[in-house]
Amino acid sequence: MLFWHLPEGVMRVRLRRALAITKRIFRTLKHDRRTAALICIAPVLSMCIFGIAFSGEVKNVDVLVVNLDDGPISNGIIGNLDRDTLDIRFVPDEAEATRKVKDGDAWAAIIFPEGFSRTVLSNGQDGEANIVLRDDKSNTNIATAVRRAVTNALMNTLSEYGGKLPVSIQEDPVYGGKAEFIDFFVPGIMAFSIFLLTMLLTLLAFVGERTSGTLERLRASPMRASEIVFGYAMAFGIIGMFQASLLLIVATAVFKITIVGNPFLAYLIVALLAMVSVSLGILLSSAAKREAQAVQFLPLIVMPTFLLSGIFWPVEAIPSILRPLSYAIPPTYGVQAMRSVILRGWGLGEIWPQLLVLLGFAAVFLMLSMRSLQRGRG
Amino acid sequence: MPGAKTGCTKMNGIGNSLAVETRSLVKRYGSFTAVDRLNLRIERGETYGLLGPNGSGKTTTIKILCNLLRPTSGEAFVLGRRVGDRSAVSRIGYMPQETALYLDLTIHETLSLFGEIYGMNKAEIEREEERLLRFIDLEAWRNTTIANLSGGMKHRVSLACALLHNPELLFLDEPTVGVDPELRVSFWDYFEALRHRGVTVVITTHYMDEAHRCSRIGLLRQGRLIAEGTPAGIVESAGCRSLEDAFLALARRGDARET
Repeated sequence: MLFWHLPEGVMRVRLRRALAITKRIFRTLKHDRRTAALICIAPVLSMCIFGIAFSGEVKNVDVLVVNLDDGPISNGIIGNLDRDTLDIRFVPDEAEATRKVKDGDAWAAIIFPEGFSRTVLSNGQDGEANIVLRDDKSNTNIATAVRRAVTNALMNTLSEYGGKLPVSIQEDPVYGGKAEFIDFFVPGIMAFSIFLLTMLLTLLAFVGERTSGTLERLRASPMRASEIVFGYAMAFGIIGMFQASLLLIVATAVFKITIVGNPFLAYLIVALLAMVSVSLGILLSSAAKREAQAVQFLPLIVMPTFLLSGIFWPVEAIPSILRPLSYAIPPTYGVQAMRSVILRGWGLGEIWPQLLVLLGFAAVFLMLSMRSLQRGRG
Repeated sequence: MPGAKTGCTKMNGIGNSLAVETRSLVKRYGSFTAVDRLNLRIERGETYGLLGPNGSGKTTTIKILCNLLRPTSGEAFVLGRRVGDRSAVSRIGYMPQETALYLDLTIHETLSLFGEIYGMNKAEIEREEERLLRFIDLEAWRNTTIANLSGGMKHRVSLACALLHNPELLFLDEPTVGVDPELRVSFWDYFEALRHRGVTVVITTHYMDEAHRCSRIGLLRQGRLIAEGTPAGIVESAGCRSLEDAFLALARRGDARET
C-alpha cells in the first residue's frame, strides 16, 4: 500500500502516476482562472481583513469628564488620558453626565470631586482621594479599556508629582519584545487560512471527481487509491507553500512583522497542514453526494477550527471542558508551531513535538482517505 | 465465430482463452437484484453486444467487470485474470456512460493525462493522440477545453480516452448516445477495424442497427441473460423477421414464463 515497501522500478511508475494527478490539478487551474485567483487572493484578503479589524485595541471610546476640582492634579490626569483610546467631552455637572451615560451617549463619566487635588496633596491627612468612574460595563472590553486608561493617566500624573510606588515590575522579554497583537495573530491566520482553503478546494474537487465520473474512470485504470491521494497532497502542498510565501510577504511588507525564525520551517509546517487537510477533504467528500452537500460541512469545520485552534485567543483561554477538543484538531499544532517559528525563532529542535503530531495526523488521515477510496466500490 | 480466428496469439492470458467470463454473477442492492446469476463467456476478438431495456443490468455488469463494483456473489474473470487482482487493468479500456472528463482541461491535456496514467511515454502519447484526433475528427479543437465542446464532441473525446493505450479488451457503455449518424457509422467501422486487430469489444447499445454489427449479442432482462447468439441466429430462433421483433417476442416470452 505504501511507496517504500516497493522495488524502485514500481516506485517510479507509481510516482509517475501520482505526478500525473498533480499535473492535472495545475493544468485545471490554468483554465479555471477563478479558482486560481481564489487561491492567491483569499488568504491574503483574510489576513488583511482580520489584521486590520482585529488590531486588538479599543479605540475612540466616548467618555465624559466632570471636573469639580480646581487643583492641578485633576488637570494633570486629564492631560494624561490616552486620546487614542478615549474621545473626551467635558460636562459641567455630575447629574447630567450620569444621565448621558444612562442614555447611552457615552460609555463612562470620569468625575473628579471638589477638592480632589487638595486631598491628594495632603498626603493622606484629609483621607483618601477618589476619582469616581460611572461607567457602562455592559461591554466589558470597553469598560476595561476605560479603566486602564484612567489608571495609566493616574500613575503617570502621580509620578510627575513625585509620588511613587515602592515596588516596580521590571519586564525583560525573552521573546516577542516588540510584538503587538498583529504579530501574535499573523502566524495563526496563516495556518488557519491555508488549512481551510486547502480542505475546501480538495472537498469540491473531489466531489466533482465523484459526480462527474472521472474518479470511476481513474479507478478503472492502473491508478491506485494511494497514488490519487498522494497526487492531490503534492499539488495542494505546493499550492499551500505558495500561499504561505504570499502571506509572509504581505505580513512583512504591510503589517511590518519581523519574522524571527526560518521561513523554510514555516513552509514545512504549511506542507504538513496541507496534507492533513487534503486527506480530510477527501474523507469528507465520500460523505457528500453533491457539491451542495459538501458545502454544508463547512460550518462544522470552520467554527471549531476558528474558535478552538488558538488563533485569536490562546488555548489556555478556552474552558477546560472544551480544551481537549482544541488538542484534538490538527490546526492547533500548526498554529503553535508557526507562532514559535515566526515569533520566537525556534528551530526543528524545539518544534519537533508539534511537527510529529501533525505528521501523525497526516499519516492517519491519508490512510483513512485511501481506505475510503478503496471502499468506494459498493 | 469470426472473432475467435483473429484472436491474437501474443495476448493469451494464463490458461484461459476467454476475454470475459462470469460464473453465476449476482449483484444485489438491498432487495433489488441488478444482476441475477449471470453466466457470460466472451471469446477473445469478439464484438459482443449487451442489449436490454434500461435497468436490465448492462451497466452494472460492465462496472463489475471493470472492478468498480463488488459482486454480491459469483465470479468474474477478464483476460484470464480474476477481477480484483489488478494485473490485467492496464490492458483494458473503459468508456463510462457519463462523459467523465475534466471540464477545465483541453482535449490535448486530457489525452496526455490518460496516456501518463497508463504509463505511456511522450512519443507514444503524441503518436496515439494524432491518430485518435483524426479518427474522432477533432484535430482543430485540440486546444479547446472540454467545457466548451458540444455533447457529441465530449463523447468522442471520452471514447478516445478509452482507446489511447491500445487496450486488448474494451468496455464501451453506450458509446454512440448523442453521436450523429454519420459519426456513428465511422465509430462502428473503427470497432470493426479493432476486431480485425484482435481487440475484444464489449458494448452496450439500444440501437438495433448497431446490434447487427456485433459478432454476438446477449439480451439482458432483469439481470438475466434471456437470449444469446449471433444476430442472425437470434432472429431465426425466435422465428421473427427482424432483431427488434425478436427482442420483443423474447421479452414477452420471458414475462409469460414468470407468471
